[in-house]
Amino acid sequence: MSSRKSLIKIKPNSYKDGEIVKVSFMVMHPMETGMRKDKTTKEIIPAKYVNSVKFEYNGKVITTMNVWESLSTNPVFTTYMKINGEGKFSVTYSDSTGEVHEKSMKIKPKG
Amino acid sequence: MQRRDFFKQLGAVATIAAISPAISFADEAKKPKGPNDLSFKAALDAITGGKGAVESSKVSLKVPEIAENGAVVPVTVEVESPMTDSDYVKAIHILATKNANTRCIDVHLTPANGKAMFATRIKLGDTQDVTAIVALSDGTFLSASQNVKVTIGGCG
Repeated sequence: MSSRKSLIKIKPNSYKDGEIVKVSFMVMHPMETGMRKDKTTKEIIPAKYVNSVKFEYNGKVITTMNVWESLSTNPVFTTYMKINGEGKFSVTYSDSTGEVHEKSMKIKPKG
Repeated sequence: MQRRDFFKQLGAVATIAAISPAISFADEAKKPKGPNDLSFKAALDAITGGKGAVESSKVSLKVPEIAENGAVVPVTVEVESPMTDSDYVKAIHILATKNANTRCIDVHLTPANGKAMFATRIKLGDTQDVTAIVALSDGTFLSASQNVKVTIGGCG
């Protein structure tokens, strides 16, 4: 399976235990709606969109998302999260053609 | 004589112009339909179970009033909520009323989020209302909506 470029960002960069931080997840994905036509061949480009995203922190599910085709190309998902000790933050996402990928990041609170 | 011909041609152009909207409507019907064709009312019923949602000032929906590019419209939904185990925001739904599939995204939150906020970017095909429906842990639904003027559509 081809790898897809994705990125997890946590703001602010350094955080303390118990702090509420902004988490955003970006993925390079075409988000094809299935309604667009190829300009040269006049054929409909088949739909291919991210349909589910899951945020997990130390094995506990924080946020789940059901996604449809009307999200922009290279979608961004931003929400907040409460820091609760050291551990791993991971994002699992799948798309309508059956691709499943995972991206993770270490969480290290200071102080 | 030349003048007469000119007026004839002018008349022909005018009739074509009058017919052309009808042609474009026929094209509209031929447009490919997306994988999920869902109207706003059907989506609202599916989310709230037929209960409907109450418009509330607790939900703040931030969308630009005029979107120059319909392909990338930033949307931010924030809900006033303590986000404790007994009282939290269960889900945020973002809907675009005139898109072929009105449902954009469902976000299921938990108290571990700490703050009820969600931001993303959506595609809008035409000038329309963007609605956020918020499900609270006590089973009630709140909503907020705003009209967005789209200069260039983002679908198709």
